[in-house]
Amino acid sequence: MLEVNQVNFAYRRGEPVLHDITCSIADGESVALLGHNGSGKTTLTRLFMALDHPRSGEVLVDGNNIEKCEPADLADKIGYVFQNPDLQIMEDTVFEEVAYGLKNKEISEENIKHQVEVALKAMGLEEFADLYPRSLSFGQKRRLGVAAALALNPRTLILDEITNGQDEQEREMMMSYLKKLNEEKHITLILITHAMEIARKYTKRSLVLYDGDMVYDGSTDELFDGVRDLKPWGLSQPPLATLGAVFGIKAFDTEAFCNKLELKGVGVK
Amino acid sequence: MRITAFTQLILVLAVTAWVFLLPIPAVAMLLALELVLLLYIKHDRMTMAAIGALTVFTGMMIVLQLLFGSSLYISLTGGLRMFVMTTAFLDLLAGTKIQDIAQALVEKFHMPCEYAFMLTTALRFVPDFLADSSNTLDAQSCRGYSNRGNVLKRLYAYLAVVKPLVMRAIAKSDTLALSMELKGFGANTYKNMQPQTLKILDYVVLLLIVVLSSYPFWHKFILR
Repeated sequence: MLEVNQVNFAYRRGEPVLHDITCSIADGESVALLGHNGSGKTTLTRLFMALDHPRSGEVLVDGNNIEKCEPADLADKIGYVFQNPDLQIMEDTVFEEVAYGLKNKEISEENIKHQVEVALKAMGLEEFADLYPRSLSFGQKRRLGVAAALALNPRTLILDEITNGQDEQEREMMMSYLKKLNEEKHITLILITHAMEIARKYTKRSLVLYDGDMVYDGSTDELFDGVRDLKPWGLSQPPLATLGAVFGIKAFDTEAFCNKLELKGVGVK
Repeated sequence: MRITAFTQLILVLAVTAWVFLLPIPAVAMLLALELVLLLYIKHDRMTMAAIGALTVFTGMMIVLQLLFGSSLYISLTGGLRMFVMTTAFLDLLAGTKIQDIAQALVEKFHMPCEYAFMLTTALRFVPDFLADSSNTLDAQSCRGYSNRGNVLKRLYAYLAVVKPLVMRAIAKSDTLALSMELKGFGANTYKNMQPQTLKILDYVVLLLIVVLSSYPFWHKFILR
């Protein structure tokens, strides 16, 4: 369980970034963290990971204040996948790269091998295990970042713009796996994204930040009802949600939308 | 009226020589002048932080010299000289556009533009490198990296930060080189810019440089 209570934060040389934020994310939730660029999304998640500490207020992980914690103390509870995958790559093979975090935990070689293989398979990277990580494409590097976080078996995953640079198929595969993890193993997912369709499809709850204020905390379905005007927050309704509101249909991809439309007797070519 | 980048570069080189040629009280005065100038040009938090960091570094250098058996006088003057030389460089960076420095190096010092560009790019890379270093440290911390423990453990653990940092710097320089070539970087770079012509103030400063730089000569043969 992650909680922030009346948190205020400002970077050393800048204006306040977060104003009086209070929210809690229970175990097993899937949450989209939305907002315009610079709204404070990444900053808020950095507080969860103890990468920064609030100026005032408190951040609790499983009921414990993390004021005195370092990120390494939370690494096996929370997996954090950064926007830029290059920052994390340091080993000579994809396999070793995923195993890096596990080696920090000092677990047996056998377990490391097993966990790495599971993570690589989940992200569709098993065939690249022996390759040099920097030779991968951008999308593959992103999945490598997710695999490295998954290998640690965290109970919470914070994923910062992980669908960027992925093709449709890769994105679908990765997000489906994460959804399965969330539903079957009750891993908490926190998805920072600008892709509204991804948020709509894969999360149940949304938090919207606007200029450092929490302006929405509620159901993703209600947020993307196709009618609500999201422009004042720098967001927009996904096209399928808007169309769905017109026809009274709820669908997450074009094919399903067309099928449902046909069932309603509206011809689609 | 401002002096050109050429004169400023000569001045920085001259200061490097003066710290060894001039008597210590004059070097200390030079430092005061440099600091006043630096704070006049730029008095933001970054400048104060740079001065603070330089002071700490100088202090460490003095302590190290003392530990290795140098006398207090030698240690203090060594530290002062280093401080003055570095502050001159900070003055140059605070008061001159990097582009102008590169142009002066090519135009007046006849440095090949590739080298001038390399030098100025290295300067531009510093803040980028610092930001990358902090981001990499954060990214590795999230995977369990910790720099706790004894010095050896910390040094070994720091490899987790250094390796991606170096690889990223190489990749960045490669991309930058490619993009510069695509933008036509080459023989005409810097030459199409407005030439830097010396003005009266430049000549006054250059004269002052000659006078001060020849101090040992006129101190020995004229003042005595």
